[in-house]
Order: sequence, then C-alpha cells, then structure tokens
Amino acid sequence: MNISKIETIKNNRSLKIILLGFILLLCPAYLLADTPEAVPDNPAKSESPATPVVPLIHSAPDEVAQNPPASTPVEGGPERETTEGRMIVGDSGISESYDDEGPQIQDPFAPTNKVMFNFNDKLYFRVLKPVAQGYSRLPEDLRVIFSNIYDNLWAPSRILNNLMQLRLKAAGNELIRFAANTFIGVGGIGDAGKDVFGIHKQEADFGQTLGRYGLDHGFYLVLPLFGPSSLRDGVGLVGDRFMHPLTYVSSSDLTFWQAAGISAHEVVNDASFKIGDYESFKDAAIDPYVSMRDAFVQNRKKKVDESKHQ
Amino acid sequence: MIIENKAMKKYLMLMIFILWLVMPAAAFAGLPLDTVKGHADQVLDVLRDPSLKGEAAKKTKKEKLRAISEKMFDFTELSKRTLAQNWNKLNPAQQQEFTELYKTILGDAYNDKILAYTDEKITFSKEVPLTEKTVEVRSSVLRKTSEVPIYYRVILKDGSWKVYDVVVEGVSLSSNYRSQFKEILANKPPESLIETLRKKAGK
Repeated sequence: MNISKIETIKNNRSLKIILLGFILLLCPAYLLADTPEAVPDNPAKSESPATPVVPLIHSAPDEVAQNPPASTPVEGGPERETTEGRMIVGDSGISESYDDEGPQIQDPFAPTNKVMFNFNDKLYFRVLKPVAQGYSRLPEDLRVIFSNIYDNLWAPSRILNNLMQLRLKAAGNELIRFAANTFIGVGGIGDAGKDVFGIHKQEADFGQTLGRYGLDHGFYLVLPLFGPSSLRDGVGLVGDRFMHPLTYVSSSDLTFWQAAGISAHEVVNDASFKIGDYESFKDAAIDPYVSMRDAFVQNRKKKVDESKHQ
Repeated sequence: MIIENKAMKKYLMLMIFILWLVMPAAAFAGLPLDTVKGHADQVLDVLRDPSLKGEAAKKTKKEKLRAISEKMFDFTELSKRTLAQNWNKLNPAQQQEFTELYKTILGDAYNDKILAYTDEKITFSKEVPLTEKTVEVRSSVLRKTSEVPIYYRVILKDGSWKVYDVVVEGVSLSSNYRSQFKEILANKPPESLIETLRKKAGK
C-alpha cells in the first residue's frame, strides 16, 4: 500500500512557472530594497524596544480576577484582555511595576495535549535520543554538510515567507543565499551565502506570516513528533511543507517511504547537534508541560514581532 | 602670574568637583555590557582552566561558578519579578526561602549545561536601554548549526549592574517560571509552592 502522502502534483510545469514568476518578481524587489529609503539598512525601530518589554505601570483593579479559577489550568480566556503590566503595592505603599503577564494562549485541549506531550517525551528518550547518539558517531563535518543541505531545501519557504511579510531585503538576501548555496555550495553542501557573501540566514515561516497579519494562535496544540504548536502554527507547518521542493518531486521518482526516510534523517541529523537541550529544559522546569507551552508562546511572539520590522 | 595660577587651580578644582557631582552613578558602575561580559569571561576562564580538568575538578568548578553567579545576578530582584503580584502573598521568611531555593534550582539546572559547554563562540553585540534603571545586554552563542540569541536584562543596584532576567530566543526566564508558579499559586497556598521547590532543590 504505497499511499503517497506527498501529493504528486500532476501540473508540475505550471507550478514551476509560478515559482519562476515569484523569483522573477523578487529580483527587482531586492534591488528596490537595497536603496536606503526603501528599507533602512539598520532599522533603528527594530532595535529600540518598540513593544515595551518592561511595561509601564497600569492600575490593576482586576487584580483579584487576575488569578484563574482554581479548577482550570487553562490560561487565556478572560485574562487575555488584561494588559501586560501589573502594579505591586508593597506594605510600605511604594508601588513597583513588574512585567507580569507574558503572552498567553488558550489551552482547551490540555488533557489531550498532555498525552501528546508525554508521548513526545517518551519518543525522545526511547527512540530519537538513542538513535541520534549512535548517529553522532559520524564525523561532525559530515553532519554539518547534511544540515546545510536540509537547510537549503527550506530556503524557498524562507524566501516566500519573507516576501509575504514584506521583508523585501530579507527575501532578497535569502534568494542570493539560496542561489549561492545551491550553485557555488553545490546543492547546499557549504553555506557559501555566509562564507562568501557574508549573508546570514533570515528565518521566516508561514505561521509567522499568518501572525504578521494579525492571526492569533487560536489554541495550543501539542503535535505528535513536531512538538509544541498551535492551530495557526500547525497550518503554518503545512504551508511551509508546500513550499518545500521535495513536496513537488513526483511519486514515481520518490516514494512515500523514501520521502519519509529523508525527513526522518533530517530530524535525526538535527537532533545530533542538540542532544542534552531537552534534558536540561526538563531539569530546569518545575512543570515541564506549562514551561514548554509558555516558552513556545514567548518564542513565537518574538518571531511575529520581528516579522513586523525590517 | 602665581596668583592667576592659583585662581586657575581653584577654578579647575571646582570644575572637577561639579563634574563629579553631576556625573551619574551609572558612570561609576561601568557599562552594562562590559559588566555582563566581564562575568561571562570569568565563567569561560573557569571552564577553560587547564588545572580544573576531569570529573574530580567538577565540584571545584561548580563552586567557582556559584561564586561568579552571586556577583552577576540579583536573585532577589529575579525572584520578585518572577512572582510579580504573588510576591506579596509570601511573608518575609517565605520570600527569603523562596529566593534561596529558586537560586539553587537555577544553579543546579544551568551549571550542568554550562559545564557541558565546549567551543561555542559567544559574542556580545549591544546594549538596549529598557527603562531608566534597566538595560538589555544582547549576546549570541554560535553553535555548530545555529545561532542562539541570549539577552541579559540588568538593573543598576548599589552601584553595579546585576542580571535580573535572561531572555533566550525570546523566552524570558522569569516569565517562564512565573507561568509555572502561577498555576501552583492559583490553587494552593504559598507554603505548598515552597514545599514543591524544596523537593525540586533536594532539600
């Protein structure tokens, strides 16, 4: 039963034309972006804390309402409306302001999410970690080459997302990087974009693009294998997959299992550089589930904030 | 001539005195970036010390790291900001114990991580003012296949810049713990939070 999950797009040619169109569109965009008035080279606004990181004092009449009801571990809901800053009134009557509320997310499916969290946890310790440890006996240089190749395959997604986020310079940089890595770096073996042109990777993904245009997370989702996500970012993952070149390789050239094997290798290769990260995250946490959910929301907020600048 | 010189001297002394008065205390504390970088360098020195090699020296290393972190961090400020409005639900004794336990837990969790440090490159890029008394010092750790931005938030206290929060890839340490503690404090009294921390700290 050779179900091809990776859709064979019959109209391969038309897709190529669309992609080419995008790339052609991009070239003038980059030239435009390079002129200082279009995009300031070093946008000061992205450096200045545009969003108040330490918010100012807000009066907090709803301080009591602030604490969620005892029974629900669900965050968000009515709290989402509250401002980030809180006022602390000490015994002395001196008030100090601390940033209290970080970004929040609703978690109506907490029970199933927790099951998935535990599943992923076991998957890591029982499968991914041992495999990655064995795998990491391969020379590091070789693993870095694989990492570069896989990373290069995500470049189209980064280019298109940067473009959709109107980060023209970043999109142009990613395009040059993609071209340099593909042709000079021979399919992305080396990071020629960085080594030759000094261009750093400009991360961008579809979940971020959706966030850029005001779409909220919806609710928290722990996906099997993929880990912490949300309704929005789950859609983002699918979107990014559609911008991945391997999606468009016909199933006669690459069977489902071959494609899955490549993806699995990508995951293992990536994990071989990060053994110990998850362990120390878990060691540091008092409640790993809550800690991971919060880290996810904070990290994604930063990504979305970043997509609005440059 | 001599009188003139004396007058000049007086004038100069006065100028220096006025300058000394108006110079902000921050100037004496040094620059936030230099302060954080200085502490980070001390940590690296300990890690790279050839006389502290192997498992046997691990304890000595941890002791040294602990001493540096005491100078580098303001754990009381970190604790206050972590608990935010819940801080005042703790009585002074509980506040003190909370701070100590929190420090121990963070130390245990991150010392192992730091000791596993190999050859990643750390660069300090810039400082961004947050408020009058707080500054964000930005650094990044270059790993084999990725770059991790680490921002230290520092506050000016008693003439020196102390770290009160660390933000890794946009994730604030204090906010992350706050979300965890908040769930505990929503249902239980402060004492049970402290009991949870005692267990975690192994005390």
